[in-house]
Amino acid sequence: MRDLTVHYDTPLGAVRAADRISFSLCAGERLGFAGESGSGKSTMALAILRMIQPPGRIDGGQVRLDGVDLLSLGDEEMRRVRLARIALIPQGSMNALNPVMRIRDQIMDGLTDHGVRMSRREGDERVRELLESVGLGRDVAERFPHELSGGMKQRACIAIAISLRPRVIIADEPTSALDVVVQKQVMETLARVQKELDASVILVGHDMGLMAQFVDRVGVMYAGKLVEVSPVREIFTRSLHPYTRMLIASLPSLEKKGTFSGIPGLIPLLRDLPPGCAFHPRCPEAVARCRTEEPALREVRPDGWGACHLV
Amino acid sequence: MTTLLEARHATRIFGGGLFDRTATLALDDFSLAIDADRPAITGVVGESGSGKTTLARVLLGLTAPTTGQILYQSQDLQTMSRQGWRRFRRDVQVIFQDPYGVYNPFYRVDHMLTTPVAKFGLATSRAKARELIDDVLRAVGLRPEETLGRFPHQLSGGQRQRIMVARALLLSPRVILADEPVSMVDASLRATILASLSTMNRDRGISIVYITHDLATAYQISDTIVVLYRGSVAEIGDVELVVKQPRHPYTQLLLSSIPLASPERTWLTAKEPVPVAAADRSDTGCKFAARCPSVAPPCREAAPPLFQTDPARAVACYLYRDAPSASGDHSEPGRSSR
Repeated sequence: MRDLTVHYDTPLGAVRAADRISFSLCAGERLGFAGESGSGKSTMALAILRMIQPPGRIDGGQVRLDGVDLLSLGDEEMRRVRLARIALIPQGSMNALNPVMRIRDQIMDGLTDHGVRMSRREGDERVRELLESVGLGRDVAERFPHELSGGMKQRACIAIAISLRPRVIIADEPTSALDVVVQKQVMETLARVQKELDASVILVGHDMGLMAQFVDRVGVMYAGKLVEVSPVREIFTRSLHPYTRMLIASLPSLEKKGTFSGIPGLIPLLRDLPPGCAFHPRCPEAVARCRTEEPALREVRPDGWGACHLV
Repeated sequence: MTTLLEARHATRIFGGGLFDRTATLALDDFSLAIDADRPAITGVVGESGSGKTTLARVLLGLTAPTTGQILYQSQDLQTMSRQGWRRFRRDVQVIFQDPYGVYNPFYRVDHMLTTPVAKFGLATSRAKARELIDDVLRAVGLRPEETLGRFPHQLSGGQRQRIMVARALLLSPRVILADEPVSMVDASLRATILASLSTMNRDRGISIVYITHDLATAYQISDTIVVLYRGSVAEIGDVELVVKQPRHPYTQLLLSSIPLASPERTWLTAKEPVPVAAADRSDTGCKFAARCPSVAPPCREAAPPLFQTDPARAVACYLYRDAPSASGDHSEPGRSSR
């Protein structure tokens, strides 16, 4: 992705929800995007699929998949890319599934829409395989979504997402509505199917614990901008941006009491961004330069990108 | 100790009668006492379906227990006088989980804050009232000038929930029951909201019942932890004991499921998925038996009582059957001194 920019038109003028986002995703890699709500992480993820709805619009940049710029494709061509090459596991599986359609038909829907022709019997076999690969019994095929638990629905969504063996799976807060025990099972399922397909995963979320345990690299977003991209180990041991450190500190620990602190202040309004670094009003380390000059994202050390004047 | 609010063997069944097979046992023989002399924070932790919200509603007198009692200052909520009820409604405040359902969409959000100020005469003038409201809004991380005058649909779920926390702060009650107050709030703001609950407990002596699915935040602010599993107490006791040396297999499972923010990655396991079975709803025996790695024949026969494994902790599991039974008052094992 290069310099992707997404605007939302509001009565008070256009706001930039994703501002010149650039990153690369390697084959088989798990890349996480973390940030508070309103940081633009979901916007960025949906922009990859060109699923930004009005009043939002993509305003330039490139999204290249195996060398092809997705933003230059026609609508019909893009429709063929979705699910088959890049699949989405949406945030609320309860809302993503059609309540009046059996799980079997919802899985088959994507397949037939992408031109997969098969007999009823072959279809049943394929659905059974997909359900089993996400740890669901074959009987789930005949169920309606309301007959399934949250974790089962989320697995059904994973089964749909992997049905055409995509190259990239985008998981937008896939477990935010699930209990921790179920969350762990769903993430284990996702890790396993990803390995089997050798697909890449983009995990969008706010839980730094989940990031720590699941992804290879983490991108941290703030007010529509990418402020750090580093390998996960470095994010947690020697991060480049003060915001990253504060985000980690805001996670309650189970080791020690009182180790859990909020980030003072609020995320700025996108239509009223402070001058200089957008984070400076909340940053404990801000210096004069931060108030006037916006730091660019640059490679501070091998594979470590940061947008902060202090590094 | 003098108990302020107490649940005594409270059971709540939804649908059908007591012995109806289709009935749902949402709360099963639950006892808990909130000490009036030593206001503490009690964390009630459970997954969805564990009866957390039913517990909140029963403790608030919004749902009557099918059997058992809820007592406030030794008076049963069900038979309490009008006056007692009015007092209860002021002294015991609640923060609900869903920041969408609690608002009337036709009123500005100010209504939520000015009503209690007027009803309980919290301020002598309009300016004083505004000052009070601004204070509590700032305490929960909201900018009053950007919040007041808005309609609920113009605010995010997180902002609306923070107004609910502010509203409870406003009344300075004796007990605050917080049912998942931060589950819809951003991680960066959770600490601030939970810290304000802690401050209210410490500085104003308000007892807090913090109901949550999140063991980590419960650990951070609670003195006592109650682990709820399908309506029953699995483990109750001092927070450090329960979290650092969990005894109940369910507590152990919960703790091992939390992804830790540490670069040492031990969370994901590569084991083959166990096909998800429909929840085991057998009527007899331990409710956790179907998922328990240490299940034994006695577990299928009768539900385990609470065993007093440590002076400040009790566990409902036959693994600890050699420990004395913690009969009757569940509040004793979980009692904390600070």
